[in-house]
Amino acid sequence: MSLPPVSTETLGHLSDEPVDGGPAGGGKGKGSIVGKSPIQIALSRLLHDKVAVLCLIVVVLFALIAVFADALMKLFGVTTDTVRPIGLIDQLGGGLPLIGPPNNGFDPEHPFGIAPGTASDNLAYWLAGAQTSMMIAALATLVASVVGVTLGLLAGYAGGMVDRIISFFIDFFLTVPFLLAALTIAPIISERFGAEPNYPTIQRWTLITVLAMFGWMSIARLIRGEVLSLRERDFIQAARVLGMPTRRILVRELLPNLVAPIVVSVSLMLPTFVAAEAGLSFLGLGVTDGKSWGQIISNATDYFQTYPLYLYEPLLGIVLLVVALNLLGDAIRDALDPKTRR
Amino acid sequence: MRRSKPLALLVGASMLTLAACGGGDGGDNNGGAANDDREYAAADEIVKNPDRAEGPAYEIEDATEGGDITVYLPGDPGPSTLEPAEGWSVTGNSIQQALTNRSLTQYARNPETGGMELIPDLATDLGTPNEDFTEWTFTLREGVKWENGKDITPEELAFGISRTLDAEAFPSGPGTEYSRHYFLDGTTYEGPYTSGQPYKGVEVNGRDVTIKMAEPFPDMDWWGAFMAIGPAPLGEAAAPPKYGRDPLATGPYKIESFTPTDELVLVKNEQWDPATDPGRHQYPDSYTFKFNADPAQTDQILLSGNTASETVISTDLDSVNYQKAASELGDRMVQQSSQCTSFQYPVYDKTTKGVRQAMALAIDYEASWLAGGQVPGVTRVPANSIMPPGMAGKPDYNPLGEPTEFNPEKAKELLAEEGYDESNPFKIVMIYYEPDPLAVKTNDQLVRGFEEAGFDVQAIPVQVDPYDIWLDPNNATNKKLTLRGVNWCSDWPSGLTMLPSLLRTGAVYNTGGYSNPAIDKKMDEISLLPAEEQADAWGALDEEIQTTDFPIIPTAYRNDLFTHGTRIGNFFGDGAIGAPNYKDLYVISK
Amino acid sequence: MFAYVVKRLIAGFFVVILVSMSIFALFWYGPQEPARPLCNLETSQRCTPERLEVYTESMGYNNPIHSEYLKFMKGIVAGRDITIAGRTQECPAPCFGFSYATDRPVWGELKDRLPATISVAFGGAALYVILGVPIGIAAARRRGTLTDKALVSTFLVLSSVPYYLFALMLWLYVTIVWQVPGLSDTGYVPLSENPAKWAAGLLLPWLALGIFGSTQYTRFARGSMIEALSEDYIRTARAKGLPTRTVVYRHGLRAAMVPIVTIFGIDLGTLLVGTIFTERIFDIQGIGLWALLAVGDKDLPVVQATALFGAVVMIVCNLLVDLVYSALDPRVRLS
Repeated sequence: MSLPPVSTETLGHLSDEPVDGGPAGGGKGKGSIVGKSPIQIALSRLLHDKVAVLCLIVVVLFALIAVFADALMKLFGVTTDTVRPIGLIDQLGGGLPLIGPPNNGFDPEHPFGIAPGTASDNLAYWLAGAQTSMMIAALATLVASVVGVTLGLLAGYAGGMVDRIISFFIDFFLTVPFLLAALTIAPIISERFGAEPNYPTIQRWTLITVLAMFGWMSIARLIRGEVLSLRERDFIQAARVLGMPTRRILVRELLPNLVAPIVVSVSLMLPTFVAAEAGLSFLGLGVTDGKSWGQIISNATDYFQTYPLYLYEPLLGIVLLVVALNLLGDAIRDALDPKTRR
Repeated sequence: MRRSKPLALLVGASMLTLAACGGGDGGDNNGGAANDDREYAAADEIVKNPDRAEGPAYEIEDATEGGDITVYLPGDPGPSTLEPAEGWSVTGNSIQQALTNRSLTQYARNPETGGMELIPDLATDLGTPNEDFTEWTFTLREGVKWENGKDITPEELAFGISRTLDAEAFPSGPGTEYSRHYFLDGTTYEGPYTSGQPYKGVEVNGRDVTIKMAEPFPDMDWWGAFMAIGPAPLGEAAAPPKYGRDPLATGPYKIESFTPTDELVLVKNEQWDPATDPGRHQYPDSYTFKFNADPAQTDQILLSGNTASETVISTDLDSVNYQKAASELGDRMVQQSSQCTSFQYPVYDKTTKGVRQAMALAIDYEASWLAGGQVPGVTRVPANSIMPPGMAGKPDYNPLGEPTEFNPEKAKELLAEEGYDESNPFKIVMIYYEPDPLAVKTNDQLVRGFEEAGFDVQAIPVQVDPYDIWLDPNNATNKKLTLRGVNWCSDWPSGLTMLPSLLRTGAVYNTGGYSNPAIDKKMDEISLLPAEEQADAWGALDEEIQTTDFPIIPTAYRNDLFTHGTRIGNFFGDGAIGAPNYKDLYVISK
Repeated sequence: MFAYVVKRLIAGFFVVILVSMSIFALFWYGPQEPARPLCNLETSQRCTPERLEVYTESMGYNNPIHSEYLKFMKGIVAGRDITIAGRTQECPAPCFGFSYATDRPVWGELKDRLPATISVAFGGAALYVILGVPIGIAAARRRGTLTDKALVSTFLVLSSVPYYLFALMLWLYVTIVWQVPGLSDTGYVPLSENPAKWAAGLLLPWLALGIFGSTQYTRFARGSMIEALSEDYIRTARAKGLPTRTVVYRHGLRAAMVPIVTIFGIDLGTLLVGTIFTERIFDIQGIGLWALLAVGDKDLPVVQATALFGAVVMIVCNLLVDLVYSALDPRVRLS
């Protein structure tokens, strides 16, 4: 079962995995480790999938944009600094820009135009928004996967009491309404750290923590299921009998067999986090310094008729990235699953 | 009276636009043609009209009964309590005084002149002072009832008045400024709840209620228009804070439900008798006030003209839609000037006059208005004096010699004179309200201006109403601040309601902590002058304060844009308070 | 079967307890001064240190957290009297305290707001299935064709648009720009008061939820249908010469419904917990908007109650999902 791309109403948790492990959960991809080198097979399948390659290019492009955002800003000669809007903004005309779109031609100094009201550069904020989105999604995915894989391995392999405790926490986090938790934590963080000079960084890490905290469960459950079935396999039994230390069994024997489900989970987690970040900043949570697509969108809704480009720029960013990530995730899953043929 | 919207701390100064709309020219102040160069109507001077003493109120032509009115208040959290004695905000008082809570006197619109006037309310006249204004006698009208059907007694009226002295129970109420200052034993009597003692300064004699003053108070009739100066149930029935959730109504409407920051629903109060009220009407079946409404959505509803918009009023218009609203809504966009000034208030003992002047030159007034979604010259007008236009005695002067404009170079020079430079900058510590994106953008512009002038700026994001921080002397963040703010509206058209509230030593809304004993003394002396000389005396004091100490930076005079739907009848602004005139509205039947 | 339900209920109970503890602890340790929100409100923002201490003491923040937590839990079971700053109010069971903002019992307000949320949630969830499943099946049957590809990509792009934006745009266009008659007057009117107005006011929120949510169901329905159609028993049925229609609907659909039921249960639960964006955009006074407001006002009792309510709903929905699941798929045994 795949993660949905976007939770319709994020008051719930980030995934649609059922709570309590019941029969609905459990091991997917029973056959994913058939063959000598499933990863190689999958990779060659993936590279022959035109859509997947295209999506991969898009994702890599966004990743490059995120990494080199500052350099790109320099290249285009734009900054996110506050500028004086007098003379750039039509005071009586709804705060619309006097240069560039929507009412004037293309302005090479501001390729994406300038924001109404504040006259800040749209391209610079768009790039910074891409950076925020990618950074938060990537780091949250990383944290969530590490936590999820570790706990899943532990629960599946150790079994007994450890399994029960971890499973309980999986259920627990699936039960807590995600958005409510995020809404509650944000003001507390702001109250505690608002006066700190590195407040924007703290905000971003809070967001990463919150997203990871409510995103690790599905992968943990998946890994647990896989491990439960792998544990009884001959090669693991053999390793045990030979007296291999547990840590070595986990890392050397089990983990390589879990690469496929982990890759699938990760590829489906990324778009969820990108969308969640935007959704939260739309509600005024998370990033508040304007360098987030979600926040630009929430500002831009006022202008949907008078200056639609201002709205479409961040929207295009999100939609393109989320679609590419989703399609790529689907393709990876298909490529790794011997049952499906494209 | 404070603006309940402190969010956009906006700024301005220069006399350019003001000349065109100087105060007090009377006449046609509402409506206006639907074009862009419509002249901005300033607040009229409010007159007293003791002759309008008998109910019912003026018949409104074509008015029909029935219908439900919804009022959207975008970006305005509304009052946190409905307690009449706490009411000192434009939003809360404009609603409650017009619809639910009666007091000694009231403001009502005169349909013939179009201006607002002060007329009797629960009292039969505007009160009778003794010769030196140290005793005022009001007579309670016959036949006035609470929403539960019981008669309002003179004792309840006297009790209600004595409650305003309880600064412990109502710490942010207007009584802290007026009752405690002018009423007999105001500073020593602690109020009925805190002290448990009855108040001796109000005497009841038959239906006459006599208020004794500690010093001459010629403005008692104006002060009587506050809902705080109205009746309250005796004993514990009206004890705070419970009573503030659902106070007993005396006006034409009563409270159906109230959720702070969200919604207030008022329905008809059947016990209100129009024959006893010379100023209010009871045409619509209900009023619903939506606080913190989404600005974009509200504007879209009104601009759409769809069925849902027909009976809607909005108290704010997003500048994005200003042009569109001006051309499409025509008369249904109403500009109302309110007697309000926005200020930045440097902390007095952490700054010098030169630094404060440098701050005034380092604020990029127009840029911050634009970023904050205001329309420069329309909803925000550059300010020079503390007193806003429309107030009697408003002086015209330039505290810095010439109109104050954004001038970072000159600010730098002033700072250099004070011994601050790049290696040793003056540090501005201020707060901004983070949940509102417009407040964040405004703050960005303020920070930019200050930094261009060579200040070192730390802007701290806060999640609560900035007044919560500014007014709390023990707040850790507040102690660090070197710049605060305040938005202030006159309580009645006298400098008495502007200058002492903001600049007297220890006044609640003196957020900058300005203190000058000589000025305090002068404020007290003005109250003792003959009534007709007071207006000019306040104006002179305004100028004197700003030229000698320059403690406070007036940044803008505020104007409001109201819009309403096609089936709202008889909509006008209330120039006395800076809000829609809720008293005379009706729903045009289909 | 019965034993299974009991076991699940017990596990669920412990989860709810832990959720309640976490929320309690979050508000206890999170803010620097947990009593300040109420103190500020009741003293009109003039909460002096002395007053704050009165509130801190009377609200129990000076006592050990575990004893206060037990008091809170006892109130839910048996009711209690709550005394804050010298004012005592009786709070009958189930007592979740009084809302700071309205001073009304939280439980009463929850009950008042529930019908609106239930109306939105069930209508929206129904549309998920009504719209999503047939389209998904249609796509699965035409797998690989242009129609399939067009449907799949349209829905994929649609589901990548942030929901709040989708709903807001829908609202803007339908009620403002086009002013579609019958859809424009959104809001909640109780069903018992006026069924026609109830449906008319909620139609647009339902559509917003339904269209957007159905994108997932289309994907799921399509995926499961394709999987089901490639199973051996379907091939057998086809080989036996059964008409395609029968194969698809009788055999394929039944298998494909299994995962759909699963996500449907979860989605319904999520919707019941609160449709924050929908309620905010369409101005519906339900649980979600209430929670959003409460968090803004730091209205602790309301936040606690909504979070607990959410946890209980999620657990019950999950249990129901599993029960239905076992009924649909005979291979699954509940143990």
